[in-house]
Amino acid sequence: MNRFAIVLLCLLLCAFVVSESLFTVPLHFPKPVYDLSKNVLTQEKILLGRILFYEPALSKSNTISCESCHSPFSAFTHVDHKLSHGIHDSIGSRNSPALMNLAWQKSFMWDGAINNLDMQALAPISHPAEMGSSINAAIERLNAMAKYRKLYYDAYGDSTATGERTLKAISQFLVTLVSANAKYDKVMRGEVVFTEKEARGYYLFIRKCASCHAEPLFTTGNIENNGLRGDLELKDIGRMKVTSNPNDSLKFKVPSLRNVEYSYPYMHDGRFEKLSEVLNHYSSGIQQSKTLAVELQSGIELTANEKVDIISFLLTLSDKEFVFNPNFRPPK
Amino acid sequence: MLLPTIFLNVLSQETKNVKVAWAVVFRSNPIVLNESTYLLGHGSAIVFKTLKFYISNIQLMQNGVTVFVEPSSFHLVDVSDTTTQIIYLRPISSIGFDRIQFSLGVDSTTSVSGAMSGDLDPTKGMYWAWQSGYINFKMEGICATCSAPNNEIEYHLGGYQDPFNALQVIELATTDNSSIEIDLDLNELFNRVDMTQQQHIMSPCANAVALSKQIARSFSIR
Repeated sequence: MNRFAIVLLCLLLCAFVVSESLFTVPLHFPKPVYDLSKNVLTQEKILLGRILFYEPALSKSNTISCESCHSPFSAFTHVDHKLSHGIHDSIGSRNSPALMNLAWQKSFMWDGAINNLDMQALAPISHPAEMGSSINAAIERLNAMAKYRKLYYDAYGDSTATGERTLKAISQFLVTLVSANAKYDKVMRGEVVFTEKEARGYYLFIRKCASCHAEPLFTTGNIENNGLRGDLELKDIGRMKVTSNPNDSLKFKVPSLRNVEYSYPYMHDGRFEKLSEVLNHYSSGIQQSKTLAVELQSGIELTANEKVDIISFLLTLSDKEFVFNPNFRPPK
Repeated sequence: MLLPTIFLNVLSQETKNVKVAWAVVFRSNPIVLNESTYLLGHGSAIVFKTLKFYISNIQLMQNGVTVFVEPSSFHLVDVSDTTTQIIYLRPISSIGFDRIQFSLGVDSTTSVSGAMSGDLDPTKGMYWAWQSGYINFKMEGICATCSAPNNEIEYHLGGYQDPFNALQVIELATTDNSSIEIDLDLNELFNRVDMTQQQHIMSPCANAVALSKQIARSFSIR
């Protein structure tokens, strides 16, 4: 091989490595829902988004960032908190969801009220019990902070923060939060095998859970009523709040079960702390109602041993590399 | 040598911008925000504080055929900012037309396409935070005779999904081929709608759609 060919090969390899490190669709994943052609990823924009994700100036009190309720170490949720917390110790009305594989998500929030990843950040920024600010106030603050001039310039060739640029940069960082390296994924790629117990759990899961928690994302992304007992305190009607349609009463988005070990407590209001409580709900706690998901109308029959097996499978969805990925933490 | 010839031909054709001016009026007088009080037919009085709306997808038509479609046609018309009230359409050659068509609001495709710049930037105060979607039409004011808290009336009309899709397509006949002046007459609107019935509309709903239809009927060529 002559020197020219070697140089060419190196260049190609470098280009490949760079583009791969920004975002790759895992082999067993479908095509992303998020339109990356409308927000082409660059290192500079991802970095800006990453810094914004950890920026408390987005909140009215300068104390709450996205990370406050979405910590990387708990797969980007607020571990141990049933309901999200916000400025001045206020408490929200729903459990903050784990953030991962967002490029494949069709809608956002427990009730699917947000239709595009770009627009998601507007909700917590302006919610009085979360960041209590507004996109305009947040942008004004960013424009007054010297460090953002360079970051916006590097990302967009212009040092001014705008709504579009800010939201799209946050999307860029969020899109990179891909979790596809759990033991489950390694089994699917043929690198390792399940233990007997995990395998039993996997086959039970496929038969009894996967119609809503479909592989490989472990959710259909649909919005369903999973038969929870009505919450008398919060009186949360779920999707119906968005559509005013009684057929949407008590429906919430099916969450992904990836990293479920790290993202407790569970359900839209964080009512269950342990996976065993969740399985008990499905086997013996389903409340009948008009909008109950078809799959749950006669409950899910599960023996005590089967529940143990399913949980051991669910733990194979824990992606340590994702949770401890230094690229997802605030830049030094 | 064919290409340059065609190019020159295009250049030599007379091109003329078409001016479209928008005004929000009350019985043909332009609305003055925050100062003037407007008396409504059924006895209530109102001071307007905010009046802004999206005009999109502007098209010109001749004998029922579309002869011009404005590219990236999204305009936020704001009564508090006169620079937003005049739009120039730039056809590549002079055209004749007898109708103008436009939408009041932002279409559903754009509504689900993520963050946008310019007039569609969410910092323009025309995007809902808690539920995705543009506010097509925003009207806020003080109505001393209304029972609303602090006498504040607020109409944030929008919604891009059925059954509460509030987008309105409006078509008006015009004879002037260089300048089109379009009025939105609030007197006409309030003669048709009894606003004392509902003083707040803040989310996509049947009433938002119904009021949007009445607003659409209140546009006319001056």
